[in-house]
Amino acid sequence: MAGVRVLISGMGGELGSRVASLLENESWVGSIEGIDADPPRRRLRRTVFHRIVPGQHDRTVKVVTDFNPHVVVHIAVWEPHARAVTATARNLTDDAATSILGAAAECRALESIVIRSGIEIYGRGRGSVTRPSEQVAPNPTSEYGHMVAKIEDTANAIGSRVGVSVGALRLATVLGPHVPSALGRLLRLPAVPFSGLADPPFIVIHQHDAAEAFVMAARARIDEPLNIVAPGAITALQAIRRGRRIPVPLIGPEWAAVRGLTFLAGAPLPDHVQEMLHRGRLADNARAREVIGFSPRTTTSDVIEQLYRWPSVIHTPAAQEVA
Amino acid sequence: MSSTAQRLADVITMPARNAGSQAASVAGETVRHLRDWTTNEVDDWGRDAAFVHRVWTFSRLRWATSVGGVEHVPKRTGALIVVNARRYALAPVFAALAIGAAVDRPVRFVGRPDIAPLGPMMQRLGALLPIEAELEVALRAGELVVLGAAHTRTNLHTGLIDHQLVGAAVAAKVRVLPAATMSVPFQRNARVEIGAPIRLSHKRRGPLEELETADHLQAHINAVLDEMGGTITGTPIDWLPNNWVGRV
Repeated sequence: MAGVRVLISGMGGELGSRVASLLENESWVGSIEGIDADPPRRRLRRTVFHRIVPGQHDRTVKVVTDFNPHVVVHIAVWEPHARAVTATARNLTDDAATSILGAAAECRALESIVIRSGIEIYGRGRGSVTRPSEQVAPNPTSEYGHMVAKIEDTANAIGSRVGVSVGALRLATVLGPHVPSALGRLLRLPAVPFSGLADPPFIVIHQHDAAEAFVMAARARIDEPLNIVAPGAITALQAIRRGRRIPVPLIGPEWAAVRGLTFLAGAPLPDHVQEMLHRGRLADNARAREVIGFSPRTTTSDVIEQLYRWPSVIHTPAAQEVA
Repeated sequence: MSSTAQRLADVITMPARNAGSQAASVAGETVRHLRDWTTNEVDDWGRDAAFVHRVWTFSRLRWATSVGGVEHVPKRTGALIVVNARRYALAPVFAALAIGAAVDRPVRFVGRPDIAPLGPMMQRLGALLPIEAELEVALRAGELVVLGAAHTRTNLHTGLIDHQLVGAAVAAKVRVLPAATMSVPFQRNARVEIGAPIRLSHKRRGPLEELETADHLQAHINAVLDEMGGTITGTPIDWLPNNWVGRV
């Protein structure tokens, strides 16, 4: 297996750029091309980047079919309120999935599709399994959960139609330096709201571990969904205490007002994050270890510790005053 | 004269100073403890080992629990331990805490409600929802899980055992162990006796396996409870025909 052509959608984001960077060092990868609305965030030596806005179907189809990839790594998923408001995120995600996966289906060489999904797909309704494995049926209860469920459905339909393997990496909330995340922004507020009655545990995944999981999945050509989560768990109060923020316990009706306040403070609270603060979000990652040998290096607690160590933007004065 | 007055003033104000410093010290300690408690770690299932340790330490003020048959509990792999449960005795909770202390492994138990604040609090203790899928995932992950039978009024016999939850252990291919619990409301001593793993004489391919495993579990726990002879309080209550504390 050498000279494999890999297409990465969503390569402009921090996760996509990291995946491209790791794939460049893989001996089995021949050529890499990437698509996104924004340019990659790191120097890439042998990756070709195409700046295409989601929705430009004709251009997307031409670029993808000309490249004729063996493996498609679809990372172009917009988490609500990470980089775009919920409605825009939904439209961008739908457009990207439709055009890129649809174009990939036209490629004769296509062998495998690896898509980004999320553990939000399991939902956190009453009576749902606390730490679901991949065998638990998806039952999303948030907007983001429905979005990733739709991507999985689309990819599976294409996979069964053209006869290629489709693997989904169900990621926990991705946190890391420069990764836009609604949860990351909320936890870094000076005063952080949390559910005073429940304070359930949740998990996250470091961006570097998530990127490694994509590379492993592409190499193994997985044909099933896998949960990609960091070991350990943490509650919101524990995270707040680690960050030396002011904990604001809430018990119910005041959440609506707090959502408005966090929005004004620059940290909008999407429904999947609010659901996580109320009901927790855990997932079983044993299958990923079995199938692709994935073993994350950063624990949930360490990711949260790092979240608070990342420096804020430092404004340096101009060396020479010009006005 | 002035030195005498000063000495007298020192004597008078001394207790007040002491009380103030002691109050400050207690407040400081309380704040430190609160800070420690809110920064504890939880594991992959949300169990807080430090919280469990505190509850176990606190429960020993009331109960002196001994555990027998620890050698039957696997050291690394998962297992389902099914216990009888006397009403209001919280047998699965205390059995999980006692077995966990005896084998030095986290032990979880089935039976948390999915409603705040009780559910999340019990999750910190290691509780799981009474759902087959949840139990199966835990057992496949190599966890020890305690499952309580239906509540009974006395320690003389065990209640029905949910065969569907036992089926999770069958699906996960882990050992199923019976355990008899014995406790009295008015005494400190309590006992958890773990039996050998249940092995069916006939291998079943279908759902009969969990049904028969549940029946064997019930019979085994009843046999151990018979051997224990019910609970004796050592008081005239034992002479009453139906005293609700363990003996008939």
